[in-house]
Amino acid sequence: MSGRAITLPYGVGRITPGWLALVGAAAALVGLGAFAYAQQEIHGHIVTGLRDWGSMGGAPWGLYVSFIVYFVGVSFAGITVAAFIRLLRLDYLRPISRAAEILTIVSLILAAFSVLADLGQPWRGIVNLFRYARPQSPFFGTFTMVIAGYLFASLVYFYLAGRRDAYLMAQHDSPLRWFYRMWAAGYRDTPQERERHQRTSFWLALGIIPLLIIAHSTLGLVFGLMGGRPGWFSALQAPGFVVLAGISGIGHIVVIAALLRWALGTPERPAMAAFRWLGLALLVLGLIYVYFTLVEMMTTGYAGREHEQELAKLILTSYYAPYFWVGMGTLAVAIGLLAVQALSGRWSIPLLVVSGVLVNVTAVAKRLIIVVPSLTHGSLLPYGTGMYIPTWVEGSIIAGLMGLGALMILLFMKIFPIMEVPEPSGAEEVRG
Amino acid sequence: MPRYAMTIDLSRCMGCRACMVACKVENNTPEGHFWMYVFRFEEDEFPRTRIWFLPRPCQHCDNAPCVKVCPVGARYKREDGLVLTDFQRCIGCRYCEVACPYGVNYFHWKHPNKAQYLDYNDDPEVRERTGGAMPPYRNPDQDVRYGQERRLTAGSAHYRGVIGKCTFCVHRVEKGLEPACVANCPVRVFEFGDLDDPDSAVSQKLRSSPHFRLLEEEGTEPRVFYLNGTPPSPDVREVMPVKGGRRS
Repeated sequence: MSGRAITLPYGVGRITPGWLALVGAAAALVGLGAFAYAQQEIHGHIVTGLRDWGSMGGAPWGLYVSFIVYFVGVSFAGITVAAFIRLLRLDYLRPISRAAEILTIVSLILAAFSVLADLGQPWRGIVNLFRYARPQSPFFGTFTMVIAGYLFASLVYFYLAGRRDAYLMAQHDSPLRWFYRMWAAGYRDTPQERERHQRTSFWLALGIIPLLIIAHSTLGLVFGLMGGRPGWFSALQAPGFVVLAGISGIGHIVVIAALLRWALGTPERPAMAAFRWLGLALLVLGLIYVYFTLVEMMTTGYAGREHEQELAKLILTSYYAPYFWVGMGTLAVAIGLLAVQALSGRWSIPLLVVSGVLVNVTAVAKRLIIVVPSLTHGSLLPYGTGMYIPTWVEGSIIAGLMGLGALMILLFMKIFPIMEVPEPSGAEEVRG
Repeated sequence: MPRYAMTIDLSRCMGCRACMVACKVENNTPEGHFWMYVFRFEEDEFPRTRIWFLPRPCQHCDNAPCVKVCPVGARYKREDGLVLTDFQRCIGCRYCEVACPYGVNYFHWKHPNKAQYLDYNDDPEVRERTGGAMPPYRNPDQDVRYGQERRLTAGSAHYRGVIGKCTFCVHRVEKGLEPACVANCPVRVFEFGDLDDPDSAVSQKLRSSPHFRLLEEEGTEPRVFYLNGTPPSPDVREVMPVKGGRRS
């Protein structure tokens, strides 16, 4: 393909040694994850560090559930950016919108795979979750709103937003022309079509915002509705999940935008204005999350029941303190970096990238803190305390999923432009 | 339709844990799974130390958190009050386990047959005597479908990756027998019967003895009533816990 006279934009179809190396590394991770999952399928969840709470002294939920929440959280990014571009007309975010949408779709797929890794009967789960779905269960929302509805809405949005580029790509002679034609599905980017597309995208974006709030809240309610589980039962779980999802998602977007800016030349690369907007959004959400955490701690400390207070002490000063303080410490550093930039008005991309990575460390640590301590130490009956140490199988499956995500994005980059294609000179003629 | 309930007389219990053993044999539960668990508590300081015992079966709650959260209706409450698990519908998400404040749910981390006590296949000496028969005994009643729903709910040794818990020995109750823990207690700590029948043992005990229910403040409305005792205070210490199976 590289020998062709016409080169497709943004390296589509061009296989480079660097890309191959990345694909190789991602595929190796996927292989490791697949091997670990095979062990789990053969021997059962006995190969994980999970055990029953109570007399068995373990935690029935652990790394898998933490990463279901994490992956769903990351998905916040793409669709939010896309929706904001349409609703608030933030055109300088446009270059990163497709990368963000891909991130949303990929992370939701990874969340669904994490659910399957966690289920004791995954194949039965795929059938029974549809066949016997009970809306009364908070899980129902997770499977329908998040994994199905949210993913479906994101895919529709992604498909519609990509039709223009598919049409432009179909103008080039390439082995994937049939694919671009199929995607464009007759779309020819005429002014009327463009206008209709804008209108559709606007309403879709407007519909996606409430869906986004509901989906992330639903995941929070999986924990927040558990009255008999100290540390979980809280009205702040749902809004806390929405905000933390925003933080981890935007953190990812900052990193991706920086990579795009680094890899692509002007004028298409993401402008500084986009970074400023992302940095400010991250700063505001970070401050809201700190506020939520303080309110939660004050409520527990002042009026929490005995078990709640014991658990809070354990998290703040004892067994789980390292996780909590790593989480809050990274968030504090990120907020500090962002605040300095916001106040001085000088934004630095490396510092923003550091903040983006740090808030994702926060997100993982906080998810573990939400899921595990309430199970190992949150018993209302006087069972001894439990413990949970993930095994290599759990770690490998999660690493494999991350490899799978990277692989999906890398492959996508070679079949479709990762950024919206600028108006080509020949396009007008074809449109005629 | 009866309304089944259980009473547990704490003043009688001597902590022998015969009920735990009876439950394991009756239901073929794997190593480390205690559908019936007996707490041994120590309270206060020497020389005023007091030891007392609290058996903990599933509480078969009327407002069962496990039933509410099950995403596929595998955990359900029968009309007669038994809270059961449909082993063929359960997807193994363990939400019931985290929602239950009593810690009565046990997940099959590996195939139940591979997790019985005395793994005959691993011990050459035992194997020589048993010819590799494993598990040594399987209760045939657990493979029968019970109730109007005809769902697979009895016993434990069915599938890997599903949840299990006390069924009030549904397979015995359906035959008019008492649950195994009730029948095997040497000092008649337990009574099992119909709350709507004023002459049943449970109704009589509840009329004549002071009683409480575990974690009543959680609003779960348990069907297990504890007689002649008090709920465990935050100061009790569990002694001699049975932790078997943590790594099995």
